[in-house]
Amino acid sequence: MNTPADHRHDDLRYAEYVLGVLDADARAAVEQEIQVSPQAAAAVALWQRHLTPLTDDIGDMAAAPYVWARIHDALQLAAPAAPQPRASLWDNLRLWRWLGISASVAAAACVVVIFTLPRPAITPSTASTAYMAATITQDNGVTGWTATMDLQHARMIVVPATPAAFAPGRAPELWLIPPGEKPISLGVIARDKPTTITLRTELLTRLSAQALLAVSVEPAGGSPTGQPTGPVMAKGAISGA
Amino acid sequence: MSFSNPAEREELTNLLIRTGRSDQQAFAELYQRTSSKLFGVCLRMLRERSEAEEVLQETYITVWRRAASFDAGKASAITWLVTLARNKAIDRLRQHREEQLDDPLRLEETADMRPTPAADAETSQEHQRLQRCLDQLEPPQRAAVREAFFTGATYNELAGRCKVPLGTMKSWIRRSLLQLRNCLEQ
Repeated sequence: MNTPADHRHDDLRYAEYVLGVLDADARAAVEQEIQVSPQAAAAVALWQRHLTPLTDDIGDMAAAPYVWARIHDALQLAAPAAPQPRASLWDNLRLWRWLGISASVAAAACVVVIFTLPRPAITPSTASTAYMAATITQDNGVTGWTATMDLQHARMIVVPATPAAFAPGRAPELWLIPPGEKPISLGVIARDKPTTITLRTELLTRLSAQALLAVSVEPAGGSPTGQPTGPVMAKGAISGA
Repeated sequence: MSFSNPAEREELTNLLIRTGRSDQQAFAELYQRTSSKLFGVCLRMLRERSEAEEVLQETYITVWRRAASFDAGKASAITWLVTLARNKAIDRLRQHREEQLDDPLRLEETADMRPTPAADAETSQEHQRLQRCLDQLEPPQRAAVREAFFTGATYNELAGRCKVPLGTMKSWIRRSLLQLRNCLEQ
């Protein structure tokens, strides 16, 4: 039988668990108890109620839009692809669209947005060339997509500015065109939600202010030949930060 | 953000309950409303943006799968969500970085981090009560409790950062927790 002293000792352990000071083994032991003992679960829940308000002291930090895109993909959700924007700049699709309206300045503006986002002092500072951007403009002058390249993490986020209509069975495919080289496929991109693309080393080394991004109309699975087969519907130059 | 407004709390509770019924729209809105807070917590603990993003992703994937087990009678939605994120962040810290983060400078940073008066007005009653109880602790103990909560550090790491023996750190934290419990459950 548990004595009152045991009970106090257990309660202290649950408090330590919630505070986060226990090592991995001791944490696992408490998690096991929560599963089998309603008293343990209730005591842990009480400590969570006690201590969780401390997180009010931590500032909110908007996560990059590709985090939601990854969650969406991992869970294979049907809809909605992009949650409606609320407060945060990063998540604000309207902002991205607005940025896309003025094609000549938008790419530079994206980079400014990235650099003016609040960053915690604890994040290691990255080189100022860590980002590049491009506005991919349709022939009629309307921005189709905005691409932001995060060089440090070797990824590109392509955000649609104006959802384009496609015939059934057709999809937009993104190409990188380094100067004097053939187009390199970056894959089929979404027309109604952000697409995150991992940049392989051979792609990273070809990103430059002389390179172009272009979108062509291809079969839904992408070009069968490895080169564009349909009309180029939008393109844009890459600019550095 | 503290989600201290009762109407807002109720909305979050509803969104989480609907998420538990596989309502994707509710899940998307829940993410939209809460991910900045959870990301702030993850980033504070992990200090690395890409790691915090991975933990945030894992957290919401788990939210989707486990939301049906949320019991509004036992915890508020935001407490449930923050707890899930903190647990995932702590698991991550234990896997990869146990004993790695000895940095004595960090303690002062945390100790100094208090909400501004403007933010104070918006914080929840629970937060104000907790703050009053924390204020009754001796400054080094209070700093150690906050450091532990915000960084998920083990006793060993805390002792290293505060440059005190392990036994001292354990007794600081344990005494503080007992004192907090007495104060909060008055």
